[in-house]
Amino acid sequence: MAANSTFIDPSILASLDNLELRARVVVEGFISGLHKSPHRGFSVEFTDYRHYYQGDDMRHVDWKLYARSDKFYIKQYEDETNVRSYVLLDSSASMAYSSGGMSKLDYGRTLASALAYFITRQRDAVGLITFDDKVNDYIPALCRQPHLIRILRVLANLKAGTKTDIVKPLSDLASNLNRKSMVILISDMLEDEERIIKTLQRLRAMGNDVIVFHVLDEAELLFNFQEATEFVDSENSETFITSPASIRDAYLENLNNYLSYCKKKCQSSGVDYCLLNTSQPLDTALYSYISRRAKSF
Amino acid sequence: MTFLTPLFLFGLLAAAIPIAIHLIRKEKPPKLVFSTLRFLKNTTKKLVLFQKIQQWLLLLLRAALIALLAFAFARPLFDSNIASLVDAEPESAAILMDVSMSMGYGDRFVRAQDAARDVIAKLAQGDEVAIIAFDNATVSVRELSTDLEGARAFIDGLSAPSFEVTRYMPALRLANDMLESARHDKKTIHLVSDYQASGMGNDDSGWMMSPGVVLDTIDVGVGATRNLLLTDVRSPDQLIENRNEYEILARVRSTGSVHLDQADVRLILDGQETLRVPVDLSETSEAVVRLPAVFASAGTHRGEIRVGSDDFPIDNSYFFTVDVMAKIRVLVVNGEPSTNWYEDEAHWLSLAIGGNAAESPFVLNAATSGEVDATLLAQQDVVVLLNAGSDLSSTQARALNDYVSEGGSLLIAPGDRVNGAAFNQLLGAISPAVLNESIRFANSDYLLIADMDRRHPVLLPLGGDWGVRFEGYWSVDAADGADVLMQFDNGSPAFLERHVGRGNVLLFASSLDTEWNNLPLQGLYLPFIHESIRYLAQATTKERAYRIGSLIDLSDLSREGASVQVTGPSGETIALNQSGNSVTPRQIGFLTVDGGEGPQYYAVNANPEESNLVKMAPSALADSISNPETQPVQSEQVRTAQLVAELEGPQRVWWWVLLLVMLMLLAETRIANTTYR
Repeated sequence: MAANSTFIDPSILASLDNLELRARVVVEGFISGLHKSPHRGFSVEFTDYRHYYQGDDMRHVDWKLYARSDKFYIKQYEDETNVRSYVLLDSSASMAYSSGGMSKLDYGRTLASALAYFITRQRDAVGLITFDDKVNDYIPALCRQPHLIRILRVLANLKAGTKTDIVKPLSDLASNLNRKSMVILISDMLEDEERIIKTLQRLRAMGNDVIVFHVLDEAELLFNFQEATEFVDSENSETFITSPASIRDAYLENLNNYLSYCKKKCQSSGVDYCLLNTSQPLDTALYSYISRRAKSF
Repeated sequence: MTFLTPLFLFGLLAAAIPIAIHLIRKEKPPKLVFSTLRFLKNTTKKLVLFQKIQQWLLLLLRAALIALLAFAFARPLFDSNIASLVDAEPESAAILMDVSMSMGYGDRFVRAQDAARDVIAKLAQGDEVAIIAFDNATVSVRELSTDLEGARAFIDGLSAPSFEVTRYMPALRLANDMLESARHDKKTIHLVSDYQASGMGNDDSGWMMSPGVVLDTIDVGVGATRNLLLTDVRSPDQLIENRNEYEILARVRSTGSVHLDQADVRLILDGQETLRVPVDLSETSEAVVRLPAVFASAGTHRGEIRVGSDDFPIDNSYFFTVDVMAKIRVLVVNGEPSTNWYEDEAHWLSLAIGGNAAESPFVLNAATSGEVDATLLAQQDVVVLLNAGSDLSSTQARALNDYVSEGGSLLIAPGDRVNGAAFNQLLGAISPAVLNESIRFANSDYLLIADMDRRHPVLLPLGGDWGVRFEGYWSVDAADGADVLMQFDNGSPAFLERHVGRGNVLLFASSLDTEWNNLPLQGLYLPFIHESIRYLAQATTKERAYRIGSLIDLSDLSREGASVQVTGPSGETIALNQSGNSVTPRQIGFLTVDGGEGPQYYAVNANPEESNLVKMAPSALADSISNPETQPVQSEQVRTAQLVAELEGPQRVWWWVLLLVMLMLLAETRIANTTYR
């Protein structure tokens, strides 16, 4: 990250226990930076008035109309696009891996909460699905403040599960979607990539916008281990003893082939693909989201 | 190879340090829970294999590096280099090559040749060397010479070991004599041998080498030995026809340092294997095997007993011959026949040789003195004169003389009816004794046999105590050329032998009935009569088996100037000895001798002494013959040690340099293992 960046380093974010606070810090920071950005594609339009009822936010009272009519009227706004977004967060065991900073799950949790916060802030509806080898939490897409709180609570309590099965929640979601939506997948995608891509392509073919946030740890990306190590698979407990230095090139070649495949297939299918390094700030992810939303709606 | 500082070779153990580090580290690789192994496991097996090879190579390199450092600390020197420094003094050497039969055990002879070549290789230009190949005598000699190539060629040209026994002393004496005239002061006898204990023989002369001559012992007989040996074979040398089945006894012994407990003994007659008997030596080291043999026809049969197989096959066979003959025809000329058996002079003799006509090997013919003529004599193998001789006519006496001269055999037992003077006149030319007077004791006085030639073929099998009482006898004097085989206790000859022409005559100076002695009543009577007649009938110098190096007398065959051809076991012609009537065999097997009357076979066996593979300590031999005036010669090891000390002393600083290098290397190995694995 550049020294003059306004974004918060993930390691600092990780020290914030409150997920809402963490999401707000991310989004507010992002928005403040956004003023400098040419990408302004969102606004909220006024549609009607209604009578004031106790408990309404005083900020939405039309004081000019009150001056003319001596009555309290509340301004009513309408969502510009009525976008419904679903954030799918992988909580499998492999997501718990961390080489020192934030774990992939923590990073994904922060990203998901930031996206939910951001989407809600735009008065778009947002839902949440967490899964490992089964769907653990399903929160339908709504656009209310208490709904965001619910999402954030679920994310805060999320624990790493066991094995991964990305295809199942995606397939279930595809079956249940009855209108055009935005599907945001946050996962390390350490599964059969062909099946995942096919499912994503299916979602895309149904007219949905699909964004894939491919979250990987820096150690996974660089494989910069030194000593001979007995590696234990986090999901199936298999072991493999090797000297990392001697197989690093082969590892990176395998990894890059995999990443290239995922990226190429996603791009060719109209799926936005965004590779995220857990040691980097979350702005890249939010830019990706905004960019996709601007193109689609 | 020699090491200047051999203690550093213990440093080779340090080569195990990298391996130990590797093994210790290998047991505790840190565990790391990783998100997935899919990209690790997809690394190719080839890569992993290469990685393993690389690691092993690295490990081996490190271990080898430390080992080489330890090796360098030890300061190796090639033997040739050190030898050239140590052996700078010119040398006169004599190489004694043992080529006796025992050197045929395993590959001893080849190793002996190699050892001799090594001795020559260590000699420098200008050194002189002599070579003596020996067994019980000197086989071949190469005089002292500076031509080392020629010496090497001489060693290469030595043929296989002989069949002779080992005798060290003659060869050592010869080598010592040769070195006395050598040009260099350093004089060494290199004795290349298996150091068989029997090689010392019965030498107790106390002989020692000359001052200044050193004995270098080179032992090629080390290691375990496995040997089966026929220590004794009892086979008949002469058989009588019609007694077809005989038993041959063979004594088999395991004599090597490694015991052989199973063997097969085979009987081979006239080239055909007729019997195979297994021998169990698991509980004893020696066993006697009984081998029934059948000799179907008269004539000479060749036999061989062969035992098992071991590393010393030369002594596994025993060769013998068996002469099967027809029954012996005996003419008994009775000088005092009688119808009363107790008065009949021939009664006891007839019982002895013709008692069981079917089984007896003899055919008995009886005659009186008047019936003797040349025709009758010509049909007999042996003639016995019992109390007769003086009553023959001059014609009969001449016929008897001719009969003996032409190869006939005669046994004379004069009694009381013989006239001494007439006897001497008629048969003096063939009689072994001159009859003086017949003496008959009175008053129960008697003579005993006091002395006898126990080695004579007639008396050899008898032995025992001759407790015969002689109350009457003939006082005789031995004739010219006669041998006295027995004497009475008064010194008078009792039994005599004389060879006349091709014939043979025995004279017993008493009667062969009970008139003058009680011999017919003794158990010795029958074997004495049988052996005497058998000896007379089959008198021959041929034995059933000869030993290597013994003298085989062929005078019977070469008589009358006949040309005699001797062929060895391998078919080669063997020259007769200088005398022209004997031969000395040098190979085991059968000699075939043809004197014009068909082939005769002579069996030749190795000397069993050489099959005794018991060794002596080479140092004991060296100590016993080394001259005390000879300056104590430092061994090569001592001289090498001194040279090493001289070379090593001034440059010992290299130790510390190499030690530092070694410590640094160990540190590097340790650090590399902990940081860059």
